[in-house]
Amino acid sequence: MPVAAIAAALIVPLGLDGDGYAIRVIALVFLFAALGQSWNIVGGLANQISLGHAAFFGIGAYTSTRLLIDFGLSPWFGMLAGGVLGGAAAALISLPTMRLRGHYFALATLAFGEVMRVVANAWTGLTGGPVGISVPYSAPGLWMLSFKGTLPFYYLNLTALVGVTAVFVGIRRSAFGYRLQAVREDANAAEVVGVDTARIKIQAAVISGALTAMLGTLYAQMNFFFDPDAVFGAAPISVRIALIAIVGGIGTAAGPILGAILIVSLEEIANVLLSGQVAGLSNLVYGLILIAVIMIQPHGLVALGPVFRRPWRVPAVDAAK
Amino acid sequence: MSDNDAADRPPRLDRRQLVGALGGAVAAPFLIRRAQAASAVNIGVILPLSGANAQFGVNSRNGIQLVADQINAAGGIKSLGSARVELVVADATSTPTQAATVAQRMITQNRVAAILGAFASSLTLAISEVTERRDIPLLTMSFSDQITERGFKSVFQVVAKASVIGAAQFDGTLAIAKKAGTDLKQVAILFEDTAYGTSQAGGLRKAAAKAGVQVVVDEGYPLGITDVTPLINKLRASGAQAVFPVSYLNDSLQIIRVMRQQGLTFPAIGGAAGYVIPDFKSGLGEYAEGILSISPANWDQDPALTDTFSKRYGYFMVHEALEHAVCLDVLVQAMEKAGKSDPASLREVLHGTRFEGGWTKVMTGGAVQFDAAGLNTLAEPLMVQWRGKEPVTVWPERFAKAPPIWKA
Amino acid sequence: MALIQAILDGVMIGGVYAVISIGLTLVFGVMGIVNFAQAEFLMLGMFIAWFAWAKLGLDPLVGAFLAFALVFLLGLAVQHWLVRRVMRAPEVAQIFLTVGLLIVLENAALLAFGSDFRSVSTPYQTAALRLGPLFVSVPYLAAFAMSALSGLGLWWFLRVSWFGRAMRATAQDPMAARLSGIDVDRMRRLAFGLGVGLSAFGGAVILPYLTVYPTVGSQFVVLMFTVVVLGGLGSVAGAVVGGLAVGVIQSLSGLVFPIQLQNLVLFVVFIAVLAVRPEGLLGKAR
Repeated sequence: MPVAAIAAALIVPLGLDGDGYAIRVIALVFLFAALGQSWNIVGGLANQISLGHAAFFGIGAYTSTRLLIDFGLSPWFGMLAGGVLGGAAAALISLPTMRLRGHYFALATLAFGEVMRVVANAWTGLTGGPVGISVPYSAPGLWMLSFKGTLPFYYLNLTALVGVTAVFVGIRRSAFGYRLQAVREDANAAEVVGVDTARIKIQAAVISGALTAMLGTLYAQMNFFFDPDAVFGAAPISVRIALIAIVGGIGTAAGPILGAILIVSLEEIANVLLSGQVAGLSNLVYGLILIAVIMIQPHGLVALGPVFRRPWRVPAVDAAK
Repeated sequence: MSDNDAADRPPRLDRRQLVGALGGAVAAPFLIRRAQAASAVNIGVILPLSGANAQFGVNSRNGIQLVADQINAAGGIKSLGSARVELVVADATSTPTQAATVAQRMITQNRVAAILGAFASSLTLAISEVTERRDIPLLTMSFSDQITERGFKSVFQVVAKASVIGAAQFDGTLAIAKKAGTDLKQVAILFEDTAYGTSQAGGLRKAAAKAGVQVVVDEGYPLGITDVTPLINKLRASGAQAVFPVSYLNDSLQIIRVMRQQGLTFPAIGGAAGYVIPDFKSGLGEYAEGILSISPANWDQDPALTDTFSKRYGYFMVHEALEHAVCLDVLVQAMEKAGKSDPASLREVLHGTRFEGGWTKVMTGGAVQFDAAGLNTLAEPLMVQWRGKEPVTVWPERFAKAPPIWKA
Repeated sequence: MALIQAILDGVMIGGVYAVISIGLTLVFGVMGIVNFAQAEFLMLGMFIAWFAWAKLGLDPLVGAFLAFALVFLLGLAVQHWLVRRVMRAPEVAQIFLTVGLLIVLENAALLAFGSDFRSVSTPYQTAALRLGPLFVSVPYLAAFAMSALSGLGLWWFLRVSWFGRAMRATAQDPMAARLSGIDVDRMRRLAFGLGVGLSAFGGAVILPYLTVYPTVGSQFVVLMFTVVVLGGLGSVAGAVVGGLAVGVIQSLSGLVFPIQLQNLVLFVVFIAVLAVRPEGLLGKAR
């Protein structure tokens, strides 16, 4: 099934305008699904609800862009550097927060994201400050991750989604994944049977943070321009990433994919149909639907169809695009 | 899309429904196309209609709608067979990513000939990255320096750059004070840490250095600050003779009020945004009287035109409404001249023409002309001063409608 | 002298922070739910007070009582129709229900009231008392006094009245409360109504020196969280201490750091407190 789904996703663009709206929206779905999937590693497997993943995302976006501007370094290296820094930041924030659970962890990570946003706004020399930063033009090509159209990013984001999903599934099936899930179910019991819970949590956070940062580089290259609020913002990134994984189904491989499809297209539909009308209507409807989804199915979309619980069947949904 | 859906249709009912629903949800935006009359030109309008900048977005939309209605009532675009101006309006929300997506949608789905927007510089910059690659003209009144400094060919800015506006805010004040016999030696700069605040403060700072005036307080503060007392405490201790706050409305009201509380009576010279909208007057009442501000443009440069706005909407034509009106007027003039609405011809006409008449009369110089970078070379910032219910232009002298009053 | 002035300013603003945050901690204490939409009720309170001022000629300090009453009723409804239904759902569903509520309230306000910045004008708005070299802003003082008043009212309610004691019992052990004949659902409704009503009250009393617009709540969200975490989630007395602490920290940091970094200082303190004493400054050590 996943092979068929990926194949379908590969073919879909052939029938569409390679620089069109549909391609951009689906590419964004892939990107946010991938973000939700990397969030899922801590949020889903360890049940640590992070509301600060924008911190890592922004680090990735700024690292690669800064290296590109200052040294003309290929964003591929920037992505690696961003991943390292993102992982380091995740380790850093894990130290004071790993003992926290539930709401406390959520609030601490939310504050961490905000710290990064404030720093990025104030540290003008590094980030360009609130006026934002433009990714310089490079000759189009894969090496500089620079393209005139959107289609290449469709494939890049798809690759990223497949890659991150593979990492997630790999972790979940590994001994490491079982330890994480043991920590989720009962941290004390896990300690008793010899799981080093602190170490496990930090490892998961580092992997998740590094992946999120690498996706930040993709975002920067795709959008050419961003400012601190766009990449470090709580609402557009942190909360959105968590929302995508949660609405789709937390802890499952299919969840973030379903969630991204729903959330991103819901935003688009609301914007297309309603935003030209009365100001605020589109967001109001979006919020109402969000509440409805949570009221109807607090465990996420995955819980709606039993078949979606099996991860490999799920990408069939992609084929529907 | 639906073919793919059918081909992969799974046998199970619950799953089929869900797949169908999700597929439909994804497909919906792409299937929606506005019915397009043969004799209409679609023009995209992307503005923040929700979120923190909503009010400025709504003001801007009002200005654009006014001009569109006027043009259509007068018979549309004549050289295009009396084509109607059809506005495609969408919410940019507050995120650059969303604004860029909206731009891409307008270009490929609505086939817009050009895009107007998006008030906030960060949104405009994000949109320009899309329009530039598609060669679609983008007309804007955002004034971050970056907009015209990236060598883009398809972006057109009808107002002066932020650094120029900041410098004018300083130079105008210095001139007005000098005329009243006050020599400014020490000033303070307060700015919110947004694109608008920081870039305009940069202009202020440079102008002060050039004039040899000491900046005794130079503080940024977070957007949406809820307590400005620490700022004003610094101000009081600094010995400043004038303060330049660059801020939106909420902070500007707080700054003026707390200054009053502490008995600080030296002038505050606003940096447009929050200082030149009707809510400033209704919020401060009598304290608004006589407050100076810089403004990229002002309604009183041609009241006959801007009165059509105040008659329809019930408040004076704020600068963002006015500048967006000018954007649309210039665009339509370009279409008239080109006799075509394709991007390449539009771009060529926009770059090589001095636009006169119509709404351009309300701009300084009574015309609009873009240089190679897309900057309107005729735009000059104005100092305005609150007189009763409206801000009145008081500097530079050749544009002034009343003499400035300096209360040191 | 600058130091004393800063502490004075901080205490006054902190009193207000305490009142707007008490609701958040009350809801958490009784129900274990962090309400991300709490600040939107503050926004509603500001709007109600504004309309009471504009249409009825009521000073916002008086309009505050109206704001409390109306938002209290709204709170009862929200608890009954929405929050009650996710009480047993996973934490994440609870978090995101309130996030959804935040989006809905903010945009409903935008639809209903438009995007104008509204502000009142009152005679005391630009007044200040002078105590030697010190300034005491009258609108701040008024807001502080009203906050103290409502804090005392809440204290009386929780300590002395039967409802209050029943509510505390519900917070401590819903099952035991139910067994001793307390209508737990009703207590939770009451707690939610009181909580959001207090935030609305706080919103109304700060209206004389602030401006109301649909997104004003977002300026207060993180601030409110900081206050309740400093004081210990669920502790009403803690929220008062937390509020004062946040006010003073903000004010003092303005003396040392650029004001741009005001929030940074706050967040760092916030994370540090969570790391070292997740139960809050007042909480019992584990």
